[in-house]
Formats: sequence, C-alpha cells, structure tokens
Amino acid sequence: MFRGVTASRPCPAVRPFLLFLCAVAALGLACRNRETAGPAAEQTFRFRIREDPPTLDPARAIDQLSEAVLFRLFRGLVELEPATMTVRPAVAESWTVSEDRLTYTFRLRDDVYFHNGRKVTARDVAWSYRRLLSPATKSPRRSILEPLAGAAAFARGATTDLPGLTTPDDRTIALRLEKPFAPFLSALTLMNTAILPAEVYEDPGEAYLRAPVGCGPFHFVRWEQSNFIELAAFDRFYGGRPSIDRVVVRIIENHQGALQEYLAGGLDSLDEVPEDDDPLAAALGDEILRYPFIGTEFIGFNHAVAPFKGNAALRQAFNYAVDKEYFHKTRHGNPMANGIIPPGAPGHDPSLPGYPYDPEKARRLLAQAGYPGGRGLPPITLWYNTAESLNQDMQKIQLDLKQIDVNLTLQSVDWAAYIAAIEGTPVRPGQAPMYRFGWSLDYPDAESILRPLLHSANAGPAGNYSRYANPRVDALIDEAMGLVDDAARAERYMEAQRIAVMEDAVWLFLSYYESKTLFKPWVKGVVTTPLGEFRIPIERLRIEKGSS
Amino acid sequence: MTTYVLRRLTGLAPVLIAAATIVWILVFFIPGDPARLMAGSRALDPQVVEDIRAEWGLDRPVPLQYLTWLGKLLRGDLGTSYIQRRPVAEILGDHFPPTLILALAAVALSAGGGLALGTLAAFARGRLPGLVVQVLALVGASTPVFWIGLMLMLLFSSRLGWLPVLGYGDDGAMVPGIGVRLPEWDHLVLPALTLSLMSMGAIARLTRSSLAETGSAEYLRTAAAKGASRARVLVGHALRNALIPVITVIGLDFSALLGGAVATEYVFAWPGLGKTVARAIALRDLPVVVGCVLFLTMIAVLVSLAVDLLYAAIDPRIQPGAAGIPSVTLR
Repeated sequence: MFRGVTASRPCPAVRPFLLFLCAVAALGLACRNRETAGPAAEQTFRFRIREDPPTLDPARAIDQLSEAVLFRLFRGLVELEPATMTVRPAVAESWTVSEDRLTYTFRLRDDVYFHNGRKVTARDVAWSYRRLLSPATKSPRRSILEPLAGAAAFARGATTDLPGLTTPDDRTIALRLEKPFAPFLSALTLMNTAILPAEVYEDPGEAYLRAPVGCGPFHFVRWEQSNFIELAAFDRFYGGRPSIDRVVVRIIENHQGALQEYLAGGLDSLDEVPEDDDPLAAALGDEILRYPFIGTEFIGFNHAVAPFKGNAALRQAFNYAVDKEYFHKTRHGNPMANGIIPPGAPGHDPSLPGYPYDPEKARRLLAQAGYPGGRGLPPITLWYNTAESLNQDMQKIQLDLKQIDVNLTLQSVDWAAYIAAIEGTPVRPGQAPMYRFGWSLDYPDAESILRPLLHSANAGPAGNYSRYANPRVDALIDEAMGLVDDAARAERYMEAQRIAVMEDAVWLFLSYYESKTLFKPWVKGVVTTPLGEFRIPIERLRIEKGSS
Repeated sequence: MTTYVLRRLTGLAPVLIAAATIVWILVFFIPGDPARLMAGSRALDPQVVEDIRAEWGLDRPVPLQYLTWLGKLLRGDLGTSYIQRRPVAEILGDHFPPTLILALAAVALSAGGGLALGTLAAFARGRLPGLVVQVLALVGASTPVFWIGLMLMLLFSSRLGWLPVLGYGDDGAMVPGIGVRLPEWDHLVLPALTLSLMSMGAIARLTRSSLAETGSAEYLRTAAAKGASRARVLVGHALRNALIPVITVIGLDFSALLGGAVATEYVFAWPGLGKTVARAIALRDLPVVVGCVLFLTMIAVLVSLAVDLLYAAIDPRIQPGAAGIPSVTLR
C-alpha cells in the first residue's frame, strides 16, 4: 500500500541527508559568524594537557600535568631560570649560605602578595614548609626538606619542633641542614615548596583543591573537570603583570583531535607534533620547536632475579644487540643515549663510549655470559605500559634480540599494573625481568637521577626498580651530595655513571629525551627549556596576531 | 499500573547492590595498588604509600573494606574519590549532565532520522531507499565510532570549518538552580551525530520491517476505506503500531549511550561520565568506578521501566505487568 506514494518521487531517502547537511551547514555558518564577533584586545593563551591534573595541591603534586598548572599559580623562595637552569631569586630577593654550607638564610621581597590580597611573609614560608613535611599531608615529596635539622623526627610525627627552620623576622627565613647537601637550592625550586596562605590551606574540607591560591603570575579562575582550567593574570604579581590576560588549559586526551584543534586555531600551543614523515610536519615548519629535555629513556634489567642477576656480560650483550640509531633516525629523532646523565645536567659525559650497535660482539658476550647462541636462557619478558607509540619501539628491540637468538616476550599493561609489576615491595623484587622506563630530572643535578634510580638505599618502590647495588656507586653518589664545588661534584657523578654504564651495564640505554612543541606564529617570547614544554614561562609570552 | 511501578522500583535495590558488588570485586582484584597511584607517578618513599593506605583504610582486611563500603552505600554515601579527594556524588554531578545531554541529542537524532528513513524505506521496499537503509544499518553497526567521529571532525571542522573541532565550549549557558553548564550548541553537533549514526541505521531497518509487517493489516485497510488520509493511516495507525519494537531499541540505545559513549567522549574531548569511568579504572579509583556504575545501572533500570510504561501509552492493548513484562492482551 505504501509503494504508490514513492513512485513519483525518486530517491526519497537521499532527501533527509541533504536536509541534514544543510542543517549542519547552517549551524556552521552561524558558528563562524559568531567567532568573528569576539573582542580582539584580550590576550588569551590556550594550551593542552592530556588529562585533568591529579591534584592542584603543590605539596602532593608529583607529575607534569599538575605542574603545568601549578607553575603558573605558585612561587617558592627560588626558581630555575628556564633557559639556563640556574637558580635565581623568586619570592626571596637574596640569600646567603654559611661557610660550613649548613645554613641558608633567605631575605624575602617586600612586594609579594597572595592572590587573596594578603602580603607574603616569612611565617607563610615556615608554615608551608612545615605542612610539606607534616605526616598529615602525606606528601610524596617531603624528602625535599628532609635535609633540614630535625626534619626526620618531625616528618615521623615524633615531635612538633623543627629546629632547622627559623624566622628571625617577617622577611627573613633561615634553613639549617643536618649535613651539607649540595643540590638543596636546586631542590627548593620544585613546586612542592611553593608558599601557601595558611588561612586557605588549613581548610579541613580541602576547598583549596578546587580553588588554589598562590602568589604566582596567574590566579585561578575555574576548573571544569575534563574540559578546561582557566587562569587570569595577577595584577599584583611581584614580577609585573603578565602580558597574557587569560590562560586556558584545555584537557584533550585524543592527540589526533588535539592536533586538528591546533590547526583550527583553538590551541596556541600543543605538546604533541606530527611524526617526522607526516607531510603535515613539513607544512608546519617553524611552528615545531625541538629542544633538549633533561631525561633518559632506557630498558631496565631486574638485577635481583635470573638471568640478569650478577651477569654483567649478559646485560652488555643485550646493549650491543639493540640498534639505538634506528630509534633516532626512524622513530622519534631523540639523541642516542650513551649513558644515564642527559645533556644539560652536570656529569653528562659525551666521551663515554656507551654501547654502539654491534651484533657480533653481542653474540660473543652472550656466550661469555653462559648462553651461547641463546641456549639455556630462560624465557624473558619485556614489560611496558600500554601506549601506541611504544609498541613499535618494543617490537624493534624484540627483533634485534632475536638476531642474536634471544627470544623476548612483550607484555603491555596499563600504568597501574605496570608499576605494580616493576616496583615490587621493599623486600620483594618486581616480577618484570625487563621493563621500559623513562626518567626526567626534577632539577639540573645528576643527583636527581642517580640517587633515586641507582642508589641501593632506594631499591624497589623508591626508584631503584632494577635493584642495582654497587657500593662504589653508592659511595660516589653520597660523596657528591656533600660537595659544594660543582666541578668536583660533576666528577663524582661521571665516575659513578662510568661504573654503572660501562662495568655493570645497569640498563639497556636507549635515548635522551627531546621536547617537541607546536607554537602558533603569533605567540612571541617563547623561552624553551630543558625542563620540558610545561615549564615554558607563560608570563613572558605575548600574543601578536597582527604581526604573524 | 501503580502497583507495577512500585514493584519494579522495589526490585531496583537488589539489582543495584548486586551490580555494585560485582564491579567492586572486579576493580579491587585487578592488578595495581590504588595507594601507590594516589601517591603519584614518580618513585617515592614507600612509607608515604603506607601512610596513604592507612588513611583510606586500604590496609584493612578485604571483607572489612567491602562491608565498610556497603554500609556507607546503604546510608546513601557513594564514597570519596581517591584521586580527586571529593565526593563521588559531586563527580557524578559534574560529569553526568554532559553525558545526558549528549545521549539525549544522539537519541533524538537517531530516533528521528531512523524513523524517517525507515518509513521512507517502507514506502519503497526493494528500491534505493531500502538499500540506503540497509547500508546505513550495516555501516553504523560495523564502523568503529572513533573512526566515524574522526572522519566527521576532519570533514565538517578541519576541511569545511563549519563546526568546532572538539570540546564542550567554555561559554555555554548555566542552568539556573542546579549549577550545570550547558554545552555551546555548535560543540554538540558532531559528537551527537557520531553517536547517533551507530543506531540510526538499526532503528531505520527495524521501523521498515515493522511497518512492512503491519502494512497489510486489515485495520489499515479499514481506516483507509473510512476515508482516513494516507498520512493519517501511516502515522496514526501503521507507525504507531510499529513503534513497540522501535521504542525498545531506542530505550536500550539510550541506556547504552549513557554508559558507553567513551569513544565519542574521547574523540571529541567531551567531559562526560564514560571518560571519567575509564580514567577512574586506569587509576584504580574504586569509589568513582563503583559509584558511576551504580548510578548508570539505576538509570538503565529506570529507562527500561519508562520504556515499559511507554508501551502502554502507545498501545492500549498492552498492560504492563498483567502477565509478564510487558504483556499484550487483545481486546
């Protein structure tokens, strides 16, 4: 009965589509018209992070996403100059260090205000430091202040006295250490030591997690979960009001979508760039900035279990078997790693031979290790956290090791399961015999990579997942931490690195990191930094759309 | 009818507790330590992790943890997120509205488009419209939603520049009284369209076949003989009777969209519940996972109830609960 209705109207099913397309077009045109109507005067800088920051509490922040926001909102006594990575004044205008290198006395600026309008005093610094150390805060970074005299007992909750922290007057704070700790000033540049207003951060309801208050160049406006975080220029910032009026941190997990949004102009900067062989990379040209990032990528060996336990020859064989140049030339372009300490950090040693690709040598070392032709070698699994970008790299390693008759199984799991598999407990090694890992330095001192990852005192969850233990390396790291002479300290670091790399082949060394960031041509004043794209100072940027 | 509704609502509680318990057990036993993840992604002093474990009661025996959670649940407390350190109810309040808006828009598009296409196809069985419906159903069912989303994004946003690429927008209107911000309307178009394409074809195909079945019914011929217009016969009689299976599918789709829009939310950076649950699973944020699943289960059950009631509204021969759910009695 319905057939007759359609007989005189050909292709009726196409019509709804045409109507729908027209509707989409109309919506789009309306949208386009609206976009042209916005005010031109306001300078807004939009950049992207992948996920919501786990926390906006400086004491608890331990990841790049949180830091990407916190470094805009907060300031500590000192900070790193982004380009040179030297320590410079921030809330403290100056400081002195006693001859015995035990007492650091800071003089505060007189023009520092919190975003709530109150002036910052030395009491705020003392309160913030005590909060960081307090067992109630459960800060994963309380170790920064543990060199202070009495800090260990205070952090355990054994006492409320903290003799290493005194405030002689409202603008002076003195920090006394238990023993000399050379990287102390560098460690104070970490965002965890940010100065906080007690009246906001004493809130038992923790409202500050959703509305943080600091004394940085931007103040918090709003956070719409999984959507964006908005900040605005702080008029009373001691360093001068930023040119950028508004910062929008957009939360976009999908990297393809983020790239399209950047191309459409919805982002002024993006922490992800097209692959080198993508024609888009060539089209973007100067918008892509590449610069060193102080971090190292490696494959860790589990030194606590067979077959890597006590078998340096086997670890060396694996190192020689993998063609690191492939990753440099074909994959990400990052420099090949010849060791542990990346360029830019004191102790980096460009003359260290490392392990250039040499499959013949790898075979000989494999035989020397007790596994000629791979015979007798138990099954080995290489663990890594699930990430599309890692699959190909890990398969290449598997393929290279196959060339010397080593069969490697790949195991990709999510981050939570991965961490559980590699860390183990302080007394029980992780189940992963090999694991892919990367480490970026918190501050430009090799202590920031050598101590957590190689010192035997940190075996297990504290960072030394490989459970590497060499008393000579431990001694060199311990000695370096007490040396205030930079050259002497770098020498110890280099020697520790030489032993761990060339004698012990502690890991399979892959590459040193590089940052790759997109910036629109209208963004001026970009200062790249080896600390990573999220540490580029936004307060120094300007938007000059007319000039691009 | 009231008794039926009350009976259904009474049955809701055990369903919710069972669903939440299953999810609690699943998330609890997958590898990964929530206390370790709460402490952050870097290596750290193991004592900090122990302190966090004690703070959240994760060091207690598993049965005790479960009973504590259940006790809170029975008091209406969904718990507090390990990672965000705020009530799960608040997180639901933030993320459910965007998902609901997206699902409603997608269902409106898929139902509207599907019904229209299905009706047109029924008019022209075996011809091009029928083929289009077949193809659409096949493509919708077999093409990954993230691919459709990316293609639509590349076409309408990147190439034509008609619509925003992604996001919820930052300038939508606030709904007075409940603190919910609406999306900017142009940001809604592509995600809703992407989601709707999944089921639009299926609804169209179902509408077509239902109409084909009812098309030869005697009551339609009677209505036409009594002088009813062709449109009235189609819409008032044939389509109405063909709607029962279609509404079932729409109801199921709606429930699925509320919880299963993860891929669309991911592609379009939509701040919805699906993405929140996915991230909570990755971070082993047990209270958030269980709370969200519980809430979505409740919505699914309520939607199913609403669909049952709609049957009766559309077809008076159906009396929900009289003999099975739904039951049909011929007058």
